[in-house]
Amino acid sequence: MDDIRIVEKESVAPGATMLFGFPDVGLVGVIAASHLVDELKMSEVAYIDSQQLPPIIVLHEGLPHSTIRIFAGHNLVLAAAETPIAADMIYPVMDSLIEWGKNKKVKTMISLSGLPVQERQDMQELKVFGAASSADMLQTVESKGIETLTEGYMVGPQAVMLLRCAQLDVPGIALLAQCFLNYPDPEAAAEVLKTLDQIAGIKVDVAKLLEKGEEIRLKARDVMRRTQEEMSKMKKGQEYDIPVYVT
Amino acid sequence: MAIKKKRSFYDTIQEYFDDMDKEIDRWHEPMIERPSWNHKTSTMEPLKDTRVTPTEVIVTVDLPLTKKTTLRVKPVDENTLEISAQMRRKVTFKEMGITHHEGEFEKFQCRTSIPVPVQMKKIDIRFKKGMLEVHIPRKGKR
Repeated sequence: MDDIRIVEKESVAPGATMLFGFPDVGLVGVIAASHLVDELKMSEVAYIDSQQLPPIIVLHEGLPHSTIRIFAGHNLVLAAAETPIAADMIYPVMDSLIEWGKNKKVKTMISLSGLPVQERQDMQELKVFGAASSADMLQTVESKGIETLTEGYMVGPQAVMLLRCAQLDVPGIALLAQCFLNYPDPEAAAEVLKTLDQIAGIKVDVAKLLEKGEEIRLKARDVMRRTQEEMSKMKKGQEYDIPVYVT
Repeated sequence: MAIKKKRSFYDTIQEYFDDMDKEIDRWHEPMIERPSWNHKTSTMEPLKDTRVTPTEVIVTVDLPLTKKTTLRVKPVDENTLEISAQMRRKVTFKEMGITHHEGEFEKFQCRTSIPVPVQMKKIDIRFKKGMLEVHIPRKGKR
């Protein structure tokens, strides 16, 4: 974790809600994050710098940026990545972000992601499920009318987030919208954003996201392809497995 | 005089397997990755997936912004399908935020291998919301 440096460009006020949107199934998290930044006009306040990460930057309006950045605005802090995080870097990256968030005294951490379903193509309505870091948070999720994931495996950044939140006593929630496994799913991203209003009172208009859905799918092909490679390395398919319980 | 430490049998075997792993990794990594587009032919390669069930093979292809009427699913041989579709409008690099490449795209095109023997003549095609689903019954399976 010492090799991961979070470089702050602007200070962040305490008491914010910290969101996470990373490339994962259906690119739900990253599509939702991109829409949040655009719609709420959030600005970059910090970024991750590490020699442990591949030597990739992203150019925006001709200027270099880290591919893992932190945005802020409207009492929200959003950690988002524009390229998939390599499987072996998920722990150090998430540990750094969670520690940073804890130091900034964020009140809750919420991961935006997806839950792949094979029948996605035939589904008219997409459900959003919640998982939480503590019994209290689980109750909060349930009290908002969100169905919870009670048993099963979770793989990826949201899994690390929940575990670390539980260990550090930071309230944490993972919101997972039913989605395609291997295809960018803007409709699922819209559903997860609607649930964000339910759970944390964060209102985001998703009309533009749905309207631009096909363009987003077209543009997100390459990121999805690379995300598939990383998901395969981290054994994402294990989320389909039925666990053997040790109680 | 330096004393050479004798290597154990276990070390030798471990080294052999490490070398083998490296060799396998090297074969799996393409020399240089190619882009998912070809501006000379104005085509983009779509995302695709193949699933084998006990009775059929299901190929799905994400074809956003395409016209259903231009969709072509053609068996090239016993275990290869060629899929193409025309876009409803031309898409430029510029509108995707890329200014260091020039070109526009008007078609999706790809080939996909079918991993088990199938009855290519009994292809069933479904197309909904820009997502193609091709169902092909497996040979000798009901």
